[in-house]
Amino acid sequence: MYPIVDHEVLAPRVHRLRVQAPVVAEKAKPGQFVILIIDEKGERVPFTISDWDRDAGTVDFVFIEVGKTTQQLATLQPGDRLLSFIGPLGRAAEVDRYGHVVTVLSGYGIAATVPIIRALKEHGNTVTTIVQAPDKERLFGVHPLEELSDDLILALGTKGDGMMESTTVAIRKLLDAHPKKPVDRVIAMCSLCLMRVLSEMTRPLGIKTMVHLTPVMVDGTGMCGACRLSVGGTNRFACVHGPEFDGHEVDGWEVLMARRCTYADESILQQGFQCRGCSQW
Amino acid sequence: LNLNRVEMPKQSEHERRHNFDEVALGYTWELAKEEASRCIQCKKRNCQQGCPVNIDIPDFIAALQREEIEEASRILKRKTSLPGVCGRVCPQELQCEQACTLNKKGAPIAIGRLERFIADWERTQGAPTMPEMAPSTGKKVAVVGSGPSGLTVASDLAILGHQVVLFEALHVAGGVLMYGIPEFRLPKEIVQREVQYVQALGVDLRLNTVIGINYSLDELLNTDYDAVYLAPGAGLPKFMRVPGENLNMVYSANEFLTRTNLMKAYLYPEYATPIKMGKRVAVIGGGNVAMDAARCAVRLGAQEVYVIYRRTRAEMPARLEEIENAEEEGIQFHFLCNPTGFLSDGRNNVAAMELIRMQLTEPDESGRRRPVPIPGSEYIMDVDTVVVSLGTSPNPLIPSTTPDLEVTRWGTVVIDERGRTSKARVWAGGDIVSGGATVISAMGEGRIAAAAMHEYLTNGQKKIIPPTPAKDED
Ligand SMILES: Cc1cc2nc3c(=O)[nH]c(=O)nc-3n(C[C@H](O)[C@H](O)[C@H](O)COP(=O)(O)OP(=O)(O)OC[C@H]3O[C@@H](n4cnc5c(N)ncnc54)[C@H](O)[C@@H]3O)c2cc1C
Ligand SMILES: Cc1cc2nc3c(=O)[nH]c(=O)nc-3n(C[C@H](O)[C@H](O)[C@H](O)COP(=O)(O)OP(=O)(O)OC[C@H]3O[C@@H](n4cnc5c(N)ncnc54)[C@H](O)[C@@H]3O)c2cc1C
Ligand code: SF4
Ligand code: SF4
Ligand code: FES
Repeated sequence: MYPIVDHEVLAPRVHRLRVQAPVVAEKAKPGQFVILIIDEKGERVPFTISDWDRDAGTVDFVFIEVGKTTQQLATLQPGDRLLSFIGPLGRAAEVDRYGHVVTVLSGYGIAATVPIIRALKEHGNTVTTIVQAPDKERLFGVHPLEELSDDLILALGTKGDGMMESTTVAIRKLLDAHPKKPVDRVIAMCSLCLMRVLSEMTRPLGIKTMVHLTPVMVDGTGMCGACRLSVGGTNRFACVHGPEFDGHEVDGWEVLMARRCTYADESILQQGFQCRGCSQW
Repeated sequence: LNLNRVEMPKQSEHERRHNFDEVALGYTWELAKEEASRCIQCKKRNCQQGCPVNIDIPDFIAALQREEIEEASRILKRKTSLPGVCGRVCPQELQCEQACTLNKKGAPIAIGRLERFIADWERTQGAPTMPEMAPSTGKKVAVVGSGPSGLTVASDLAILGHQVVLFEALHVAGGVLMYGIPEFRLPKEIVQREVQYVQALGVDLRLNTVIGINYSLDELLNTDYDAVYLAPGAGLPKFMRVPGENLNMVYSANEFLTRTNLMKAYLYPEYATPIKMGKRVAVIGGGNVAMDAARCAVRLGAQEVYVIYRRTRAEMPARLEEIENAEEEGIQFHFLCNPTGFLSDGRNNVAAMELIRMQLTEPDESGRRRPVPIPGSEYIMDVDTVVVSLGTSPNPLIPSTTPDLEVTRWGTVVIDERGRTSKARVWAGGDIVSGGATVISAMGEGRIAAAAMHEYLTNGQKKIIPPTPAKDED
């Protein structure tokens, strides 16, 4: 059993849990995820590791309430125990010295990308971070991003509050300045639609764009094939070959979106999830 | 000489289409006695030679004839730690029962059913009989994977006095017995009882731990462990690589069966894992896995279930009993056809598949008739759910994180005749070595490797006599 040692509400429907799981903490790397099960009747559900403490043996993740499991997680308190907590799964995000890296984040990606940005800084990169949130109330986790990033751009779905315009406008500006003010790499952990749009924007400029894909998963160890997607013409399993992929090589976006939404019909509570580009809606 | 075997009661077709309860109900003591009485106690033990783990079949049947069920159980347990499982899922018709002397004249003794009867009887008798444990050797062994092969090695080595840690990636032990084979063929309670038995022998079961991720094989060898047994199975699903195979509602059998069996999606929403299924389900393949998937689909409420197989019924690798069960349950078999692609409903859900008709060639040197497509014979079939059940390949995780572990080009781990791999202090067995075989062969390979490991751990002491189970005093 894996005890919960801390639970913080970051914004409406957004929570951070800290779980005692020394075996996972010991090997965790930026961009990897865990699969947890709450109790005997629970589902196996993946979450990206947002922080860890090897000495204390704890692992953090941030989640958004969207359906049954995440709603149930939201009720758990320190002292409660999870039946299962498996990880760190997937490959770590690629990190090297690239130069100027732009990260684009929304939803849980705002927290889950922090370890990647930290590693990017340790490798001497300049980092511009763009954060998208529906509005100011639902914005969270800005402080560590401010500290770590050389430049932080807030993009809110609604105008006002002294915030900037939409994410794509912010990115367009950065790309327009390229290559004079070069963008050497883009890393995105945000909605599937935005990652797809981003990949198309950077493709003509040849700027490597890494996307963090989250198809529906079951085992998370390469056994079920639920998470398969086509990358560069071959089938890849997001849980073992990803979840980070080169966005220019992903060639099954529409299928990926449809598969992601298999179980969405009754369950989506998350506003703004119902993107127009997705074939299911 | 009675040449007719005693039939085993089973749930009616009509009833069982709507539940996940076990189909075959098992012998009563009366029926078991009657069937046992048919055995003529041959001097030449043909049946025993047909069993991959060499169970003393005539002896346990003789015990039944003497009405000594407990003794029969003890004889069984000498060679198998999973009688309740093997009695249910062994392909007996190709093994012990095929070799039975009576098979030449009439119906062979229903050895599997008798084994199952004994195991089930034992389960009603309270705590299982515990074997005599050897004193501690002070040696520590890691077993990777808790399927039948890993469970066998863990229990054998624990009985021989070694300290055993059994690592399992999933949240439940049992391997395919838990995630693959459905409840209606093998109740999960039986598997869990075997797991508890292995734990009662002192084996330290560590669930949720993936070797290759949490610890590499080298880490195990360089830290606590004197030897390692690898039994991670063959869990990597195969796909056909035809257009449209990633469309929504095209499942691998592994996903379909894992959701249904391991995660109990048939009890959704009491259990949180859902499984989405349409009305017209096509299962591609002709093995046990395909039969299991098709029969799950029936029980999950599909209106039509088709099995698509590129050869004919005669070549199907599934057990005959399961093919017959499937037919009785209304599953429709389409032979001599093969999918060439899947078509979308416009929203990336599968709506139909394109098939091509096949014909069998004349037998080649190996005596096999190969299926070849008939040009221009393509046709379309409407389906809204597809389960690809073409088998699996060895799990690549451990070989890919252990460069000096020799594997074949099919990804199976190379071993010698006693289970030893190319890497010092590492043995392997089960589906990771065979690429996919049977429960009993996975167990048998474990047996052999466990004996070799014991010899190594005790500097050459041979395990001569298998430990005899003694009655648990409490
Ligand atoms: C690699 C990976 C990392 C993830 N990291 C995070 C994270 O850090 N924080 C976070 O809030 N969410 C994360 N997710 C998504 C998270 O797993 C889903 O939000 C969660 O499964 C929803 O479960 P539910 O029971 O609450 O909702 P449900 O009612 O089950 O489903 C709501 C929606 O969530 C998605 N979903 C459901 N089950 C899964 C599944 N098994 N795998 C992927 N998506 C699913 C589907 O789009 C579904 O329509 C991640 C997903 C993946 C694959
Ligand atoms: C649907 C289906 C039906 C079948 N029907 C029959 C039948 O009727 N009769 C029959 O005899 N055989 C049948 N088989 C075949 C039989 O189940 C297998 O041959 C047998 O289970 C193999 O045993 P194993 O111990 O080698 O591996 P498995 O049973 O596959 O167990 C391997 C275990 O190792 C775990 N594991 C994998 N990788 C790691 C890792 N890196 N770290 C830790 N743990 C790991 C897995 O999670 C799994 O629990 C069937 C198979 C399937 C899939
Ligand atoms: S283990 Fe299998 S092959 Fe051996 S006797 Fe039992 S049913 Fe027959
Ligand atoms: S071969 Fe058949 S009849 Fe002969 S001993 Fe074995 S089970 Fe009995
Ligand atoms: S989640 Fe099962 S293979 Fe990736």
